[in-house]
Amino acid sequence: MLALTRKIGERIVIGDNITVTIVDIKGDNIRLAIDAPKNIKIYRGEIYDSIVTENKNAAKANNLNGFNIIKGFTKK
Amino acid sequence: MIIESTRLGQLEVNKEQIISFPSGIPGFPNEKEFILIHSDIESPFAFLQSISEPNLTFIVVEPFQFFKDYEFSLDDQVVESLKLSGDNPPRVLNIVTVPEKAEEMTANLLAPVIINPNERLAQQIVLEKVSFSTKHRLFPEGLPETETKGGA
Repeated sequence: MLALTRKIGERIVIGDNITVTIVDIKGDNIRLAIDAPKNIKIYRGEIYDSIVTENKNAAKANNLNGFNIIKGFTKK
Repeated sequence: MIIESTRLGQLEVNKEQIISFPSGIPGFPNEKEFILIHSDIESPFAFLQSISEPNLTFIVVEPFQFFKDYEFSLDDQVVESLKLSGDNPPRVLNIVTVPEKAEEMTANLLAPVIINPNERLAQQIVLEKVSFSTKHRLFPEGLPETETKGGA
């Protein structure tokens, strides 16, 4: 892993088309501006992790009981 | 073509039924092709079955009849990449997690699956600046009586 020290207004360039700019630092909070192609998905790490965890739970935990309930459920 | 599903058995599908997730699904980045199986046309629930992985079947639900205040706007980037328009409106589905007690099943409202049914394109997006979470109970007061085996 690469660790870099940057100041406000400085940038990091990743590959040919991703730029991360340090916009502001206030106490513990750092504001970043990320310029990347549209096909690059950008997520807050902890939110992305929660989606991955939930998707994995959804993929493994849907037991037959749930399937049966759903098969019998109709719109009202 | 025939695809295998551990939970649903062998499924005969047309290529035109395949829905493409160009970015994969978070946690399953290599799963880019699914089909939507409706066990009952009247049901708000459906199954999202991976084409290549028999073991990967998501339960998905149409959210709006369960969550009346569920609304959000789509980023221009999502609209563009899914080729959505007035003639190609999105369909919204949410992935359901079924825990051991099935009546406590939850829908992930934070990360809806957005589908362009005409173009067969889809993406699971993550909503920003919303109060929704990954776990909203579908039946907070227990299962409706009509659900239980043999009725009430």
